[in-house]
Amino acid sequence: MNQVGEAYTAWEICGNFEGALSAFILGGIFVKRLVTLLLVALLSVAAMSYTFYVVSHGGPADPFWGVVMKGVKDAATKFGVDAVYLGPEKFSLKEFIDLVNSAIVKKPDGLVVTITNPVALDEPLRKAIEMGIPVVAINVPDDRAADQKIPYLCYVGMNEYLAGVYAARRMLQEFTPKRAVIGIHEPGHAGLEARAKGIMDILGEKKIPVEKLDITTDPTKALTLLKSYLTKYPDTNAIFTLGPLGAHPAIQLVEEENLVGKVKIGAIDLTTKITDAIKKGVVVFTIDQQQYLQGYLPIVFLYLYKEFGLIPHEDVLTGPSIVDKSNVDIVEKTVQLGYR
Amino acid sequence: MRGIALKHKIDWLNFLRIKEFGAVVGIVVFFVIFSFLSNRFATLDNLMNTLTMAAELGIIAIGVSMLMISGEFDLSVGAVFAVAPMVFAIMVNHNFNEYFSLFLSLSIAVGIGVINGLVTLKTGIPSFITTLGMMMFWRGILLAVTGGFPIMLARRIKMLDYLGGRVIGGLRYSAIWFLLLTIVFWFVLERTKYGNWTFATGGNLGAAKALGIPSERVKIMNFVISSILAGFAGLTTFARFKIVDPTLEQELELEAIASAVMGGTLLTGGYGSILGALIGATMISMVRNGLVLAGAPAYWYRAFIGIILIVAAVINARIRKKVAG
Repeated sequence: MNQVGEAYTAWEICGNFEGALSAFILGGIFVKRLVTLLLVALLSVAAMSYTFYVVSHGGPADPFWGVVMKGVKDAATKFGVDAVYLGPEKFSLKEFIDLVNSAIVKKPDGLVVTITNPVALDEPLRKAIEMGIPVVAINVPDDRAADQKIPYLCYVGMNEYLAGVYAARRMLQEFTPKRAVIGIHEPGHAGLEARAKGIMDILGEKKIPVEKLDITTDPTKALTLLKSYLTKYPDTNAIFTLGPLGAHPAIQLVEEENLVGKVKIGAIDLTTKITDAIKKGVVVFTIDQQQYLQGYLPIVFLYLYKEFGLIPHEDVLTGPSIVDKSNVDIVEKTVQLGYR
Repeated sequence: MRGIALKHKIDWLNFLRIKEFGAVVGIVVFFVIFSFLSNRFATLDNLMNTLTMAAELGIIAIGVSMLMISGEFDLSVGAVFAVAPMVFAIMVNHNFNEYFSLFLSLSIAVGIGVINGLVTLKTGIPSFITTLGMMMFWRGILLAVTGGFPIMLARRIKMLDYLGGRVIGGLRYSAIWFLLLTIVFWFVLERTKYGNWTFATGGNLGAAKALGIPSERVKIMNFVISSILAGFAGLTTFARFKIVDPTLEQELELEAIASAVMGGTLLTGGYGSILGALIGATMISMVRNGLVLAGAPAYWYRAFIGIILIVAAVINARIRKKVAG
């Protein structure tokens, strides 16, 4: 019980400490004393445990990262370590790199980072590793060749390409589509393109014609364009979507045009609308990456590494995990509890 | 002999004087091309689809055109497009009366327009900056309030059928609203004193002020029109999908400006057309849909629209130059 309280205070103090530090730079003896006091308080907590920093490109406003943060917090509480989560409010590569650098400067006992841009992160992370800071990658791996890769300890996350592969395989398990279309709402987005490639490779092996369709982030356009695609190629009986912005209009289209059962949807990512549609049979399945584990596991791994030098090697995959009629009820419950 | 030739020339010029001339030619050309490329294109059902797809963008383009003619910009329309339905959805889900919720969500759109106008005119900073800031602000608010989650409508509301429900086939009420609003604002711009003031304010601000035209009020009013139409367009989308995502329509503001320009409206103000905005938005939607029906690789669309935009602007500029002598 006490430990829980302590972990949370440490969490808050870290935030305050930053603010206090900047005030300190401005000068003022009173502030100086306050900082010393805070520092003592901080050290007395920190002395008993490790401090790990988690820096991601996703901010706290993003529901996806809210779940990751919960994972980090839960693991920190359980193992009695301090974990500080940093992420830019809105996606900004520069701000993200700045946060990574400021985390390294604090010389934490462990660093957890999303390798959002391997080139930009190469120098700071190699420096951190040289300094002896153990680094674990989450959510986005360094996808460069082995000899160029940043030598982090391991990667915890989903493989985007595999997500596409699993999606296609799950669809093939359901039935063999005559023709399939992939609605991509942000063409050029590396993650989405990798997912699409996974789908296309597997369907291509079976000689099933499949195409990417730029459906934009506007639901009306997405729906009309998918409809036009079905008009152009009436034998299309499978729609793949790569995120909620694709899945929601696709669900609407199939319901509006009474295509339930005739055109099957395979989705990626979880929302209430998607899980509802799975229950109604409009969507066959969706792919979840269980991002709670991307917050929880790195803390466990870093703790075990610091304590006993134990660490898993290569990639630890948290997804793709398939959600369909068989497990949708359990998944829905865990979504509400904040574990998915 | 010379007299006849001159008369012919004058006729030709009168023809060019129609502001929407370039846009009409453009849409006819695309219609013919796509009809050849796909036998599914020139069907009634597809035309209804195209008009419905153009509706949201078109409704926004009407307001954006009004504002551009009076010499200002609005980049916040995309954000307002998401804010209005978000407010509506949250209120209705908390069991507020749907008409009151509609009123309040549109009032917020009006408020954003008023602030855009007041800040721009009272501080003298360009509307490009004011509305860019406004866009960022509201996008941020949307993310913060929703935590990034989409919001779903929790109960059935009959009224929404008249905003985004099906009329017949692929035709939706949003398209009907689009046509109605085009007629209303065409009338306002071309047949009322207010329309004249709008042209004068954007054309020559100094002269307009000297003539005693309340230019500031005209501009603020047009900021409001642009904002409320964006909010209304967002509500028609919500009426159909019953779900609103905080990142909905992130590039809409630029597409709305593109539609207005294709329709013959000048970026610098003083010249433009509401019918042109209708045609511009329909053309964008037609090209997008036509490319899919023609089986073209989907990734080419953006490049295509970019070229059309520039060509349209060049042609419009040439025509204007010819007419003006």
